[in-house]
Amino acid sequence: MSDEASETEVKRGAFAKEKGEVILREHEYDGIQEFDQKLPNWWLFTFYFAIAWFLIYWVIYYHTDAYRTDSEKIVSKMSALQEQKEAALADALGSISNEQLVNDWAKSPAKVAAGEAIYTTHCVACHAADLTSTLAVGDQKIPLPGLSLVDGEWKYGSQPLDLFKLINDGTPADSAGHNGAKMQAWGQMLKPEEIFEVTAFIISKNPDEFGL
Amino acid sequence: MSTPATQTATIQYDDKTVRQFMFFSVLWGLVGMLVGVICATQLSWWQMNGKFLETLTFGAVQADGISYLTFGRLRPLHTNAVIFAFVGNMMFAGIYYSTQRLCKARTASDLLSKIHMWGWQLIIVAAAVSLPAGLTRGKEYAELIWPINIAVALIWVVFAVNFFWTLAKRNESSLYVALWFYIATIVTVAMLYIVNHLSLPTSFPPSYPVFGRRQAGLVRWWHGDTAVACFPTTPILGIMYYFLPKAANRPVYSYRLSIIHFWSLVFIYIWAGPHHLLNTSLPRWLQMLGMLFSLMLWAPSWGGMLNGLLTLRGAWNKLRTDPVIKFFAAGVTFYGMATFEGPLLSIRAVNQLSHYTDWTIGHVHSGALGWNGFMAAGMFYWLAPRLWKTKLWSVAMANMHFWIGLVGILLYVAAMWTAGVMQGLMLGEVAEGGTTLKYDFVETLKAIQPQYILRSFGGTLFLLGFVLCAINLWKTARSGQPHDDTVEVAVPVRSHDSMKLRETLINDPVAYCILGCFTLCLWFFLPPYANVAALVVTILLAIKAIHGFRTRGAKWIDWHERLLHNYLPFTLLVFIAVAIGGAVQIIPSLIVNREENVEGRLQELYTPLELAGRDIYVSEGCYNCHSQMIRMLMPDVMRYSRAGKEDDFSHLGESLFDHPFQWGSKRTGPDLAREGGEIVEGSKFMRTGVRDNVWHYNHFMNPRQTSEGSNMPAYPWLFEQETDIKALPKKIAVQRKLGVPYPAMNQHEIIDKARMQSLEIANNLAAAKVLQPAGLEMDQEEFAKYLADRQVVALIAYMQKLGTYRIQEKKGPAEGQPLDPDSYRTEITGNDDSTANNE
Repeated sequence: MSDEASETEVKRGAFAKEKGEVILREHEYDGIQEFDQKLPNWWLFTFYFAIAWFLIYWVIYYHTDAYRTDSEKIVSKMSALQEQKEAALADALGSISNEQLVNDWAKSPAKVAAGEAIYTTHCVACHAADLTSTLAVGDQKIPLPGLSLVDGEWKYGSQPLDLFKLINDGTPADSAGHNGAKMQAWGQMLKPEEIFEVTAFIISKNPDEFGL
Repeated sequence: MSTPATQTATIQYDDKTVRQFMFFSVLWGLVGMLVGVICATQLSWWQMNGKFLETLTFGAVQADGISYLTFGRLRPLHTNAVIFAFVGNMMFAGIYYSTQRLCKARTASDLLSKIHMWGWQLIIVAAAVSLPAGLTRGKEYAELIWPINIAVALIWVVFAVNFFWTLAKRNESSLYVALWFYIATIVTVAMLYIVNHLSLPTSFPPSYPVFGRRQAGLVRWWHGDTAVACFPTTPILGIMYYFLPKAANRPVYSYRLSIIHFWSLVFIYIWAGPHHLLNTSLPRWLQMLGMLFSLMLWAPSWGGMLNGLLTLRGAWNKLRTDPVIKFFAAGVTFYGMATFEGPLLSIRAVNQLSHYTDWTIGHVHSGALGWNGFMAAGMFYWLAPRLWKTKLWSVAMANMHFWIGLVGILLYVAAMWTAGVMQGLMLGEVAEGGTTLKYDFVETLKAIQPQYILRSFGGTLFLLGFVLCAINLWKTARSGQPHDDTVEVAVPVRSHDSMKLRETLINDPVAYCILGCFTLCLWFFLPPYANVAALVVTILLAIKAIHGFRTRGAKWIDWHERLLHNYLPFTLLVFIAVAIGGAVQIIPSLIVNREENVEGRLQELYTPLELAGRDIYVSEGCYNCHSQMIRMLMPDVMRYSRAGKEDDFSHLGESLFDHPFQWGSKRTGPDLAREGGEIVEGSKFMRTGVRDNVWHYNHFMNPRQTSEGSNMPAYPWLFEQETDIKALPKKIAVQRKLGVPYPAMNQHEIIDKARMQSLEIANNLAAAKVLQPAGLEMDQEEFAKYLADRQVVALIAYMQKLGTYRIQEKKGPAEGQPLDPDSYRTEITGNDDSTANNE
């Protein structure tokens, strides 16, 4: 139906209804008229489909056991992830020794660079870019939350793998922490290899101590 | 249907009120959009939170941040200004203009119109002053403090009285579809506003909302969504139904479509509220209702778009010449886009990606800029020549506005879509090996900076277009004289407004709907087997109703026709349609979800100082960028939960005592639900969580020192302003009244506790030799004393408490609870997930 045609052929009320034509309703509101066109079929179908979908979805979820609940799903996925993580950690630790960390990792410029990048993202807030854990403000040195990583003191063990463990697990639960502060377990966010790289970077900044 | 006229009357319409509302809509529109643009730039450049004034004033102002200008305070101002001031005034202008003409009667009371008009502007001014001052209730889209709330409720009543009084005096017996939408708006907004804002005042002006936790979540989104539903949707649809056929000079496409989409829209909209809390630990049945009703909402919403666009058939040639039609056509199209996107975002699987990201922001703006902004512009351009009896000053300028605005919106939404999808994908991307996430939060934020800049640009373009609109309207008004239409109307013999309550409620269509809703609810809530029976009855009822309509449809249609001649019965049915959805979702939650029913995790009570810190968190609007809700999704749990825990998503019991809860809806920064931690050894109150006190201290002073690339504002004033410790006894008394189980404490105990804790933290910070705020050079002891009184310490206390809880032992196996469909389901599967909680 072209627009022009509709304009001329519009019939009113009962007569048009009888003829099956588009009806222009008799009443006008402040000059506004209304057609009474049939509802578009595709529109009706979307509506019906949404209603049917309501029924189907609700029935499937509440009247069958086809779906697990959200918490069942997330707990099982997280358990699987946890196992995967532990396996990856055991794997990584099984294939490395203190000597390897120093000789293969800390001496490899690529690995140290990768470690530095991770350090820059995650560690500088507390340990500072120069690893001193201080912030230079004017001529003051303001302490940051972390312990210095270049003062030769290793509170939680001085072997390369001790460092790894500390970063991976965070400050041990039974430690009082540094001024009450405890480092978080970075194993939550970083893979074992990444933590090796960070460890390598720290070792590379303490060459004398680790015999580089 | 028309009644024979016996006499005529001469009526002068009150168009002065329309002109005033229109003036203020444009004015507040400019303010709201300008604030929006400032907020947008703040996300790209942290200096926009106050530091830029150093440059602007050549150093006369020195600050890293100015409290009144921070994002957390300006964003609520932006949303409130645009929704309630710009769209609000625009809709009042449209309603006052069209209602008089559709009723063929002058607005009932000039006095009430005046009170409404000026009262609304006063509320806006009060909001514009109080929000940047940090006075807020911390509930999104319902931030205004209680004295302003009461004023809003009162003015809304004034408006309602004036409107319905005009309907009562109408000289046109039948109600046009535009009026239906106005009625729905008034009823729904009144209902939502009152329920959502119930709160107990502590003192002037802070107050705590009555609803905590799940009810609050629901009530808030019920309001938040419906603030969005009602304010910018239903009245604007009404306005479309009046102004679009007027401007196009064409009949409305389909009357029956109007009926179907009106009733389905008002009924369904309210049910959709929970779609803002998908994939959280909100009970699954509520999430299901939210998602499935949102999907059902698609067709009713599009009914409005169809009726708008198809009305333009035969008038498309005007699209080339008439800017009004341009704006309306584009506006209705954006409405169609936004209401397609809404149901899409309500699908749990899509929401998983989109929620908390800028996709939602883009969605809202395609509605606000495209639908509301363009409908407003079209209406203004159509009205101005008529209100001042002149011609539009410049058609070319209006066209210019259209194109600038359109490009602005498209850039804006495109930027937000890509930013949202990209950030959502990045946040969920796992690193090689699959055990950790690939990107740090701040990396994802940096990645979407180009989009953020594009968004600011798009928003600026839209604002520019609107400035052109303001100029054009001003010039138009100046070129004419204020003009009030005078018309001769036929006064019909009074046969309308005579329907009795019995006829309103007792008839086939209403009976089927109410019965159907009732059996539908039985299906949701009854125990196994009984619910299946209820479902069968519901389906049979539906079949019978369809059959009834096929055989006796003419009677139904006739009844509806008569209903349209009776404004109060019509209003009553609208109220019932709207109230059902809310009641079904909220009443079961109120009954089922009480403290004694909580299993697993129960929130630790805030100490007095932590409570003070929480109020600072709320007042600074931290919830605008930080959520406190870890969803039950791998990316969320992997990123935010604590190491070695499998079920460390947010449980409802963890925020049981939060008034208002701070779950948030957008993550411009990371989630904070696991920020807190245990009490430090040797301390009485002081806790330390993922990050220690010094980190937080440095972070508030300069976020970029701790997180390079962060766009968070600096908060220097927290290091200067004192915590309001003295107000704590009163606040705690109110919390107790709300059911938070604080032990009995007198005010000295409360204040002493707060002081002890703040001193512990301050000593800790001073001992760590943190950087003193600019201009201070104190020794350690002196500095600790200074810090103890400052807001930063209270806020740190709150941060270190976030998300801490104790385990509440279960009393026996899970049992089916009435009104809780999920409890039955747990029983059916025999699968008890809550054992995992008792590790």
